[in-house]
Amino acid sequence: MSPVSATYWGIPGYAIFWVLFAVAFGLFAQRLYFLFRLMRLGKQENRFDRIGQRIKTMLVEVVPQWCNLKTVTRKDLAGIGHAMLFWGFSLYLLSYVIFIGLAGGFGLSPVIEGTTFEIVYSSILDIAGVLITVALIWAAIRRYVVRPQRLEPSGEAGIILILVFVLMALNVSVVGFGYAAHNIHASWPPLGAALAGYLSGTGLAQGTLEATYRGVWWLHYIVIIGFMVYIPRSKHLHILVSPVNILFKPLGPKVVLEPIPLEEAESFGASKIQDFSWKDLLDLYTCAVCGRCHASCPAQLSGKSLSPREVVLNLKEHLLEAGPGLLAGKAEASSESQAKTMIGDVVTEEEIWACTTCGACQEECPVSIEHIRKIIDLRRNLVLTQGKMPESAQLMLANMQSRGHPWAGVQSLRLRGDWTTGLELKILAEGDSADTLFWVGCTGALIERNVEATLAMTRVLKAAGVDFAVLGDAETCCGDPARRAGYEFQFQIMAEQNIETFKSHNIKEIVTTCPHCYNTIKNEYPRFGGDFKVVHYTQLIADLIRQGKLKLTEELNSILTYHDPCYLGRYNSVYQEPRQVLQAIPRTNLKEMERSKNKSLCCGGGGGLMWIEEQAGTTKINQLRLEDVLKTGADTVVTACPYCLQMFEESIESKDIKDSLQARDLVELVEAAMKQSQSGGE
Amino acid sequence: MNIIVCVKQVLDPEIPPAKFKIDPEAKQVIPPPGVPPVISLFDERAVEAACRLKDKHGGTITVLSLGPGKAADVVKHAVAMGADEGYILQDAAFEDLDSFGIAYVLGKAIQKIGGYDLVLCGRQSADWGNSQVGSILAEILGIPVITLAGDIEAVDNKLKVKRILKDGYEVLEAPMPSLVTVSNEIGLPRLPAGVRIMLAARKQVPVWTAQDIGAEPAQLDRANAHTEVTGLSVPTRKTECEIVTGDTPGQAAENLASKLAELL
Amino acid sequence: MDNKGVLVCGEIAEGKLAPITIELLGAGRKLANELGEELSALLMGSQAGGLGKEAIAYGADKVYVAEDSLLDNYNSDAYTQVAANLCSKVLPSIMLLGHTDAGCDLAPRLNGRLGGGLAMDCLALSVDSAKLLISTRPVFGGNAHASMVSKSARPQMATIRPKVVPPAERDDSRKGEVIPVEGKIDPSALKVKVVDRIKEEVEGVKLEDAEVVVSGGRGIGSAQNFEMLRELAGVLGGAVGATRPACDEGWAPMTLQIGQTGKVVSPKLYIAVALSGAIQHVAGCLGSKYIVAINKDKEATIFSVAHFGIVADYKEVLPALTAKFKELLAA
Repeated sequence: MSPVSATYWGIPGYAIFWVLFAVAFGLFAQRLYFLFRLMRLGKQENRFDRIGQRIKTMLVEVVPQWCNLKTVTRKDLAGIGHAMLFWGFSLYLLSYVIFIGLAGGFGLSPVIEGTTFEIVYSSILDIAGVLITVALIWAAIRRYVVRPQRLEPSGEAGIILILVFVLMALNVSVVGFGYAAHNIHASWPPLGAALAGYLSGTGLAQGTLEATYRGVWWLHYIVIIGFMVYIPRSKHLHILVSPVNILFKPLGPKVVLEPIPLEEAESFGASKIQDFSWKDLLDLYTCAVCGRCHASCPAQLSGKSLSPREVVLNLKEHLLEAGPGLLAGKAEASSESQAKTMIGDVVTEEEIWACTTCGACQEECPVSIEHIRKIIDLRRNLVLTQGKMPESAQLMLANMQSRGHPWAGVQSLRLRGDWTTGLELKILAEGDSADTLFWVGCTGALIERNVEATLAMTRVLKAAGVDFAVLGDAETCCGDPARRAGYEFQFQIMAEQNIETFKSHNIKEIVTTCPHCYNTIKNEYPRFGGDFKVVHYTQLIADLIRQGKLKLTEELNSILTYHDPCYLGRYNSVYQEPRQVLQAIPRTNLKEMERSKNKSLCCGGGGGLMWIEEQAGTTKINQLRLEDVLKTGADTVVTACPYCLQMFEESIESKDIKDSLQARDLVELVEAAMKQSQSGGE
Repeated sequence: MNIIVCVKQVLDPEIPPAKFKIDPEAKQVIPPPGVPPVISLFDERAVEAACRLKDKHGGTITVLSLGPGKAADVVKHAVAMGADEGYILQDAAFEDLDSFGIAYVLGKAIQKIGGYDLVLCGRQSADWGNSQVGSILAEILGIPVITLAGDIEAVDNKLKVKRILKDGYEVLEAPMPSLVTVSNEIGLPRLPAGVRIMLAARKQVPVWTAQDIGAEPAQLDRANAHTEVTGLSVPTRKTECEIVTGDTPGQAAENLASKLAELL
Repeated sequence: MDNKGVLVCGEIAEGKLAPITIELLGAGRKLANELGEELSALLMGSQAGGLGKEAIAYGADKVYVAEDSLLDNYNSDAYTQVAANLCSKVLPSIMLLGHTDAGCDLAPRLNGRLGGGLAMDCLALSVDSAKLLISTRPVFGGNAHASMVSKSARPQMATIRPKVVPPAERDDSRKGEVIPVEGKIDPSALKVKVVDRIKEEVEGVKLEDAEVVVSGGRGIGSAQNFEMLRELAGVLGGAVGATRPACDEGWAPMTLQIGQTGKVVSPKLYIAVALSGAIQHVAGCLGSKYIVAINKDKEATIFSVAHFGIVADYKEVLPALTAKFKELLAA
């Protein structure tokens, strides 16, 4: 006997049921439609390609909760709790559709009630309910007692914990009161049956039980549809949006930067909320305020005002405030809220220039929010439209323009091709062809410490019999510093130029020592017509060792720790090869840092930050990373990126520990481990 | 405000001194390979000054460059910063001119353009640095000249210029049109941004010859040059540098201090 | 040639002949002697008349004085007018001016008006066998020296920086003429007005007069770090300088810029901290007795012009250096 089929004060239960449902659903739909319209304010972007692969990705991440469980590898076990909540709640959701919707609203109760299916399912729900409750208690303890850095003890979180618990309790109550009121004696579902047993024992009148049963049933129903109204109006919107966001996540490289088309209007980058693409706006809805990005951001960890979470949430708030006005077609701000400038009020310039684009935020985010491209879009506006950037960045970008590299002032010391002096190298002249190009990069050619690594690399390649050519002084910057700093046009010009150079020499394969060049040429040049095989030298050396062309026989007798460069590791998943190479060196003790591989802490040099001063009064990011190194007790920190090497040299000198710790590029260790005769001498 | 800016393309001044080579016979510098030429830094500042005035008062900026075809790059750079038009002055007769010759050619071109309120030049070129073209040009055009500007404003149809002195500055008022030479104190030139980069890349820069500007051959005759370079040499500056060492940099510093204290 | 004689365009500072004027007279006297011609001087300002005798004592045969109050402070239009008028009457073969605030402005204008031949910022002047003035000046930021000559254009003009040539010797027994310059300044020709003149107060020792200069470059890294240089300069009783890039970054005021287009200094001790030694800067300090370089790049060009050097991070050197100097000077 479903309470829906009863009559209340002359009104049929069905009417009440469906009117309530209509109201709730109406509010639910209205909100979703509103959010949808706001999202549509954003620019066009094609995320509909390879739809089959997208659906598969979404199912894999969402159903087995891989999105959360992937973070479990680092002591953050909260993913397990969320998985429990997700699976448990999925079961409950289905049960609502069946037992409340079909059985109740559609009057199919007689068909469903009492069936084996119902009993089994309800029992599963009970067990799930216990697990859910455990997860809720665990969550509550974490959030309000343990208080890890990434979790804020917010009101919204508390409400949902209480409401979910209330739902569990009500679910059990419905069964319990239902059985008791209808004198059903059953053992399953266990909790409901137990409650029923207890209630029967209290000797309450059948009428009271029936009335209470109905009350509990309707209360349960109202809470459920209340959820429907509440969810899209809170951070729990992520429940609905995250699978969609995962559906539209980047399939290839993790940071998708759109080139700016030539015939663009007056404004570039993002200065108003609608300048972002619809996918960026969708990201804003998806945030569940888990704080993982906040807790892994090197800027935030070193005391900067930037927090990826706050950027996302502030932009979301801004969208909700400014959106209605935009939808109504008001071009200019009339209300207080729209008068807020996105750059300045919502996100400050200080925050915008603090990002190293390391990718930790995106790596940690369970719902695939793309934080980095938003920051770069904001930078594009600052640089390309407003002409505002830190002076040191401006000098760097001006130098990119006039001299083709970011190292302003360095040309007084050495020119681009000077590192080749006295070496027997194949330097490509006009008309020459080569299969393999060793792309040195600006830092490797111009900065003294990094030139040492470049020279070591040429010696190693030669010893291994690799046939390669270099461009010498015809090499210009890959464009990465310009692109990350928002100076997109300069990047595009350089990319096109370099692609032409590669094509003119019939280059097939490009080997580089710099992960930034590696990432840019491999993942970003194809968009401009440049499709080449790009290899980072660690991959090449690992391969050469495997083939026996390089033998590492000299003992190093060092305790090493390897720092994963962001643009090699997180951006391109190259974790194994550098380690394989290190492990091939005899007598080395490789100690992993706690924050290694995809959890590696940025050195602080990416995203143009080599040329931008960190916020005054804060710890330098490279100092923070040095502490990770020191914890391992290593005497050598090894890396495979010129910026990382610079940063370690700087932090080691700053801390004055040159006697106990040295920084090395991986290729230097490889050379040291090669027999003297093999390396062709010093 | 209609502004004309004179810019020059020079060899990149930022090269290692060891790479600086000259041809003493030809009395020219041999450009090191692979180093692209750049806009003379003070001329770039002059373009910046013009752009700031245009931002405030509107108008047009026309850029002139006397040089070979490649000089179009600096004109385009100026356009990317904010200039509207640009011309290159190129002719066999324009080669190896002295300051007077250059000023004469620029003067003719400026007279051809006409209708200007302000002419801007860099205080000196980053290569030969004769520092005269601006002032001679002003004499030719018959307009006042202010040198070493650190700031230029236009107020009530007059120019207000901050001129840099050795230990301070003076504020001068000049009528329009005038010529002002700009110094680096004006501040960092803006980074070409926005649509302008693409605009500049696509810009066609017309070339004006001696005939186009009505330059008289007699004025350009090398025999009538006011100054000539009769010799060019690289001074040898070999000092034996004594590197002071120590167990630590701090120790080295102490050793250095002791050494110097004895000498002084 | 109708043009004869050497004319020095002098400057008056605080009612006296500016030191540059005395140096120019010294150089001018030498040239005049070599040519066997006269040396004249032009002094402008209401106090010019009283300084005529002194100029003669420093070697001038004739001193032209233009005593007009409009000339008391440098005014480009007025000075050009007076000097040009005088030159067209006197027709000097050679004209010398100081490479100063006034001279840098006046010389090119005058040259433009008179149609002579000018070499700015000369390091040396000489007369060749054909009695032509050979001016040697730095070009390409100082990377090279050029010799310039004006075969036919007159006057042959040159500007010289202070402290490049030795000052003239004073001989009060010398005889000469003081000639007032005729003609009033035509006020309508003065198009540019000087509205204000601000002297920027420099704390401590003036850069140009300092015996010790501690200079910072691009390697300093921040405005805050310049404090270390100030400390060292303070202990040594010297002044702080900077390279153009450091000034461009805003770490030091432009008035401290040393180099080709900044100030040229020749102290006893020049400490170059974290600067590469680009010639544009080095040109401003080569006259120093001892150049010390502190740079962490052993290949930095500064080491090729320095007498002493330390290859290390300046942050590790300066504090110890300052402390040691303090100790040694106290003793």
